[in-house]
Amino acid sequence: MADRCPITDGVSFFLPVAVFVHLLRQFNRLVLGTSIAALFFGAAGAALASTAVVLDSDDDSLSVVTSDGYHEVSRAHVGRAPHHLIVSPDGRTLLIAMSEGNELVFIDRSTGIEKQRMAASDPYQIGFSPDGKWFVAASLRLDRIDIYDANNFQVVRRLPAPTMPSHIAFARDSSTVYVTLQGTSSLIAVDLASGKALWTAPIGPTPAGIVTRPTGTLLAGIMGSDYIAEIDPHDGHIIQKIHTGNGAHNFLASPDGKTLYVTNRVAGTISVLDADTLAITATLTAPGGPDDMALSPDGKELWVTDRWHASVGVIELTSGALKTIPVGRSPHGIFVY
Amino acid sequence: MFDAIQHLLTQAQGAIFEAAIQPALFHLGLMDWAEDLFDGVEFALYGALAVAIAYALCRPLELWRPVERWEDRKAVRTDIVYTIIHRVGVVPAILFVILTPIGTMIDGYLRFKGYVPPEIEQLVTPLFNHPLVTFLVYMVVLDFGEYWRHRLQHRLPWWWALHSLHHDQRQMTLWSDDRNHILDDILAMVWSGTIAMLIGVPPGEFPLVLIGFRLVESLAHTNVRLSFGAVGSALLVGPQYHRVHHSIEHAEPPFDRTRGCNFAVILPIWDVIFGTWRRGADFPQTGVAALAGRAVRCGYLEHQLEGFRRLGAVMTHFLNRRRPGFIAAFSPNQPDAA
Repeated sequence: MADRCPITDGVSFFLPVAVFVHLLRQFNRLVLGTSIAALFFGAAGAALASTAVVLDSDDDSLSVVTSDGYHEVSRAHVGRAPHHLIVSPDGRTLLIAMSEGNELVFIDRSTGIEKQRMAASDPYQIGFSPDGKWFVAASLRLDRIDIYDANNFQVVRRLPAPTMPSHIAFARDSSTVYVTLQGTSSLIAVDLASGKALWTAPIGPTPAGIVTRPTGTLLAGIMGSDYIAEIDPHDGHIIQKIHTGNGAHNFLASPDGKTLYVTNRVAGTISVLDADTLAITATLTAPGGPDDMALSPDGKELWVTDRWHASVGVIELTSGALKTIPVGRSPHGIFVY
Repeated sequence: MFDAIQHLLTQAQGAIFEAAIQPALFHLGLMDWAEDLFDGVEFALYGALAVAIAYALCRPLELWRPVERWEDRKAVRTDIVYTIIHRVGVVPAILFVILTPIGTMIDGYLRFKGYVPPEIEQLVTPLFNHPLVTFLVYMVVLDFGEYWRHRLQHRLPWWWALHSLHHDQRQMTLWSDDRNHILDDILAMVWSGTIAMLIGVPPGEFPLVLIGFRLVESLAHTNVRLSFGAVGSALLVGPQYHRVHHSIEHAEPPFDRTRGCNFAVILPIWDVIFGTWRRGADFPQTGVAALAGRAVRCGYLEHQLEGFRRLGAVMTHFLNRRRPGFIAAFSPNQPDAA
């Protein structure tokens, strides 16, 4: 069943209203798009500086932060509870998910102009399948997983996922989506074509971030404990545990695939792992509930959102030196370009 | 200045959470509650600040020009307990745990049926780039909702049985705003949750402004001979305006709750529009005429039990097919030891 706004899900009686609302939304897209674009352009300072887009989930805002002087350039209201953002498969668009605002916002990555704003039911974590065919949104609050056709963003499957479906990873062949269930300390595997749950397996207390390794196995951060778990994608059994730090939460792989970063939310650290052997090679200090991460384009700096400190940390990877930049409350998703 | 204050509060919130809450959650295996409790710390912090500001501003007014002076302030102490456990989040936390699964179930069902709550700024698009204005528009709509909830609290016998706990205080002070039965608080959350499903939730970036609204509510209950005047009283609910709403004379026989007046919580305009505004400059005695003695001058828990008793009395009358007259239903032989 398609996930449609009740106003635009119209029978004929509501058609004029739907048309009116549509026109208003188009007008709004122009207005808001212009303001966000101004933020992006405003941050375009020094040629070699990195710019980060940060979602302040408790402030309903989008912060633009620059490494040119390491400060917040600007902040704008973007919608209710923006938590995560991803880049579209073609690399041209930033998608921002507003969980309380029930919206997806599409922003042109190069200009910052808002291209589209569409109704979507409580999108929290979002992701595209590797083949670009599917778009999946996990609704943490409503215990549900929505599978969209990525071509037209219509919901094609919607399934209950008790409870607290959180982070998303895909099988390399795009056949399956794996979603951690924080409330039931388990992992669910869902066949994308049929929308049927293949299996659900316990993987440890309060699992959070999840990624697919080049080998096909999965890695999940076990936030209620101090380890990440390597998991068999066929049945969900745990292959091995790697102890990184209390509150192991989320992952980031370096572009060359050689390094894996893991945030440890309770410990206030980031573990640096050899992506092949999963051996810990370094531990970086990152206080304030480190959450999502991004690397600067030159790969020299690791940016991380500090959920509890309303700041962004910028870690110089060779020295481990940390700079902190205040942003809005509860910063979550981050994108650096 | 507001940014600096909010930044300080945010840092305090993070420090408290990291030092005390998160380690406890981690060791108790409750990390799935981390983000809720992080928000809970914020609620408690801003709630404590709201209480401190209300005390700092309203208590001097009570000392300056009190409407009434009491030697025995035992009844006020109960209201202090009410205020603290409500505003620092004890009662809201309990209600959150009880009501969230129910709200999630209903909301989830509606989403499965394709219903997605709209937002006001989707219909009034110029609001999109003015979140503070949007927030204030939400506050006006929610205040409108509160006006009608308040009307129903007085209109429906069973709801009045609960709401009478708020009204039975004869020593009304700045602490009296949170003097409510827990079932009444649950109904308030259900009410606001229903409105949220209809129009979405307000923008979240103005917690300090919310403190201002709470201050108005504390000031409205303050024991001070203060009126906003003919014009001001039509713009913002003040001590004299709300004191008339709490007037004990409305509870004198023949009692009729529907004749109440000045129901507005923040904006008197609703009373003006719906004909429930009572002008005047009097500062009447507060309370409910039929309710006195131990039933109203007791501690928190006993007062809560009293609410259940009143509700039970009303329901008994209803089941006996008798008109649920206020006095008979509640307490025919209530000793007046006030």
